Amino acid sequence: MSNPVPGPSTGSGQADGEPHRDAAQSLRTRLAAARDELSAATSRGQAGRDALARYAGAVDDLVAELFTDALGDTPQAVVLALGGYGRRHLCLHSDVDLLVLFGGPLNSAHAGALNELLHPLWDLGLAVGHQVRELDDFARIEADNPEFLLALVDARPIAGDRDLFNRFMTRVQRADLYAHVVAALVALTDERHAPFNATFYQLEPDVKEAPGGLRDLAAVRTIARLTDPALLRQGPSDSARLDEAEDFLLRVRSILHLDARRNQNVLSHPMQERVAALLDYPGALPQARVERLMGDYFRHARGVARWLEWIRRVAPVPVGPNLVKAGDGVRFVDATVAASQPESWLSAFQAAVDAGAAVSDDTLAVIQQHADRFGGHDFLPDPTRQAAWLEFLKPRPGLYARLSQMHDSGLLGRILPEFGAITCRVVRDFYHKYTVDEHTLLAIRTLERLATPMLPGTSTRERERFASLLQDLERPELLVLALLLHDVGKSGDEEHVAESVRLARGVFDRLAMPADAREAVEFLIANHLQMSTVAFRRDTEDPETVRRFAAVVGVEDRLKMLCLLTLADVDAVSLETLTPWKAELLWRLYVDTYNQLTLGYADELIDQSQSEVAQAVGARHADLPAEEISRFLEGLPRRYLQLFDQAAIARHVRLARDIHPDALHVSLEPKGSAWELTVVSLDKPFLFSNISGVLSSFGMDILRGHAMTSPHDLVLDVFQFTDRERFLELNPGARDEFIAVLENVVSGKVDVTVRLRRREQSPVHLRPRRVIPVVHCDNHASQRYTIVEIVADDALGLLYRISRVMSQQGCDVDLVLIATEGHKAIDVFHITQAGAKLSPAAQDALVASLQRLLEEDHEVA
Amino acid sequence: MKLLKCIVRPNKVDEVKDALTKLSVSGMTVSEVRGHGKQKGHTAIYRGKEYNVSLLPKMEIEVVVPDRLVHDCIKVVMEAARTGEIGDGRVFVMPVEESYKIRTGERETD
Repeated sequence: MSNPVPGPSTGSGQADGEPHRDAAQSLRTRLAAARDELSAATSRGQAGRDALARYAGAVDDLVAELFTDALGDTPQAVVLALGGYGRRHLCLHSDVDLLVLFGGPLNSAHAGALNELLHPLWDLGLAVGHQVRELDDFARIEADNPEFLLALVDARPIAGDRDLFNRFMTRVQRADLYAHVVAALVALTDERHAPFNATFYQLEPDVKEAPGGLRDLAAVRTIARLTDPALLRQGPSDSARLDEAEDFLLRVRSILHLDARRNQNVLSHPMQERVAALLDYPGALPQARVERLMGDYFRHARGVARWLEWIRRVAPVPVGPNLVKAGDGVRFVDATVAASQPESWLSAFQAAVDAGAAVSDDTLAVIQQHADRFGGHDFLPDPTRQAAWLEFLKPRPGLYARLSQMHDSGLLGRILPEFGAITCRVVRDFYHKYTVDEHTLLAIRTLERLATPMLPGTSTRERERFASLLQDLERPELLVLALLLHDVGKSGDEEHVAESVRLARGVFDRLAMPADAREAVEFLIANHLQMSTVAFRRDTEDPETVRRFAAVVGVEDRLKMLCLLTLADVDAVSLETLTPWKAELLWRLYVDTYNQLTLGYADELIDQSQSEVAQAVGARHADLPAEEISRFLEGLPRRYLQLFDQAAIARHVRLARDIHPDALHVSLEPKGSAWELTVVSLDKPFLFSNISGVLSSFGMDILRGHAMTSPHDLVLDVFQFTDRERFLELNPGARDEFIAVLENVVSGKVDVTVRLRRREQSPVHLRPRRVIPVVHCDNHASQRYTIVEIVADDALGLLYRISRVMSQQGCDVDLVLIATEGHKAIDVFHITQAGAKLSPAAQDALVASLQRLLEEDHEVA
Repeated sequence: MKLLKCIVRPNKVDEVKDALTKLSVSGMTVSEVRGHGKQKGHTAIYRGKEYNVSLLPKMEIEVVVPDRLVHDCIKVVMEAARTGEIGDGRVFVMPVEESYKIRTGERETD
């Protein structure tokens, strides 16, 4: 408080009255009695821990009484003791640190009540340090105030709402803050030691601040409490020696306070004589008594300093709520608490992977002992934990070892009983060398190894190929989940693939997985034998084989996942199964299928045979007759059906309705963390280039996109992009503005080049260049189109510039596939010139212009 | 006795094996091999970049057959492994001077 009321005579500022004055008098009398008792004990040299705790108790009573008078009727209020007062080490002139906490927002009534609490305390002459906070202030704990967090470590309630206190403690005493608090404590300790030249051999020591003093002692206890309380039983000496040192230092401090009548903690030469006398040191001369006193002091200070040095060295590092990393791995700080919190167990394994450590044996023992008490839902009770489970499955170093530990402790089988059922399951065949569960985990290890960075020069080209696929995956954890579940059907005697799929669906429900993730994982499980069958047993040189396989896979992302799943599955069969020969066959099938998906897809058009799609969409949307849908779909690449679900198809059909040559039908919707722009129009020159130009001119990052043209010149462009500047989200009229600009650019009223240049010239958009651009032209992959494949650094306006060059060269862009992988843009254009594939001369000219464009880009950067 | 060394497409191994088994050829050795003949590999393109596929994966089946079966064996192998396109493989025939069964020490004759 900025304006404390000094001295007892000024009054409390309240409406005075006899009873009030009586109450004040009574408080003063009681406080005086408590202080007299402490002073007397001090004079006997006995004001150590017990005497101080008694005094703290007396002050507690006063505070509690005033609190009840002032705020007793206020719901959700509590007063806490902090710091040394919280530890009950309250000397005569120590600060009485209080925190008054409210459950709801503060109002003027609270302010008045606070005065009723605090004024009398000041009137009593106590050195009150106080803070007033609302619980919501702690919704986000500011990590930049470690001293406050440290003071909270010793917080204890004096009076008020216990429930509020408990809620508060769960917010502030979070072990994920402990790492921070311990680090801050260590830093503060070093800072405090500096003026003492970091030695405890001080001739006139400050018993509180100096090395080996009371603050160091508190630091030892705090570190142990926040990391591993058992450390207090293991230190360099018996912990009773710490208690002894504490009692000694407090007895000395009490004398210093009494004598100086203020908060004075330096044991100066003159004071040493007085303290030695009061503590009854024997000796004929004062000098001898002082020497004995200081001998004791140094002995205790050395003990404390050693403890602190030791505990700083060995204390486990907090790595999460109730979790520390110690020499034997990650373990629970408080195993009893952890035993009844199964939802916290997963985080032990997550923390272990993050810290590159194991989960300690005693922690595994706790889990093993208690796992059977809980059902699957107890481990992943809410969306946060369910998401954390998928996050845990990301392939990275340590995943296999931790999953194995989780399996051995029985936890994995409790979380996924489907997996539990294949524990030690033996299925006799000629190939598999391990039990089904271990086969599964080893397959995950293969992925983990692909995700583990290797020292330069130690990797092989073969490994790098597959590793790069893994890097491309947006959600590699889905692949691991698919691996975990791919053979669970082997628990029964039925055909295992169908059974695995059936069991996996139950898992998806429990994990409340979104539809697209379910579909991906289910696809992988259902097809987990497909790719090896085709690669090793079919004639992959026959384009029809590849085409059929590509039709099963549909899109590149699934192909990559299935390829990696197959690699891992085969590798985990036995040490000898995945030969370089097999890896090569698999890779070739991958490349051929990838090319089929990205280059050959224009040859596979939707025809009458897909009429069931039109029926299905029509059945769900009353306003869409099946004929209208069929008309829209016919002639689009088949890939369209794999890219878009029925709801999207219905949207597109509606957008395509009543389109006339000058119209542009646009929809712009948020999609996850990105946005999706859908444009339907009749084909016109520079259309694709203009749309991508407008997106870039608004600073949008184009992530992926599909541009398709149907035989009747209907163009459907779908772009997914991110809006890093949050233009669309933050500005109410932004969408309309965007669409207006798009219409003006497409109709030729506005030149997008001018808009773009403003952004391009800004230094914010310069990005480091890493990829050497590649332009590849192919006249064979597709029956109708020349295909231009471009791999280059993703840059603002790249797509615009490329497609503009194409249009300038008289090419019609019919189909485009845009993908961004990290900083790399991979664009595939299907183009024609005057309705036919490009002549060799035209190809050369186009490639040369594109190369020039990309190299300029490269150099500019 | 002759040693037949058949280099075939990987997907044809099962058919070749079945065809040989029908002729009562019992023992065989199958290995994964890589090489090239006339086919000499080809250039594959992945993401716009060319990479050379010079050694192609093939399977090698080795069988030792009595002289009287040699021609039949060659015939069925070729029938089973043939697709008509370049890269169907080769059959090599080599004389076998002697053959012993390790377990019993017996020398085998036709």
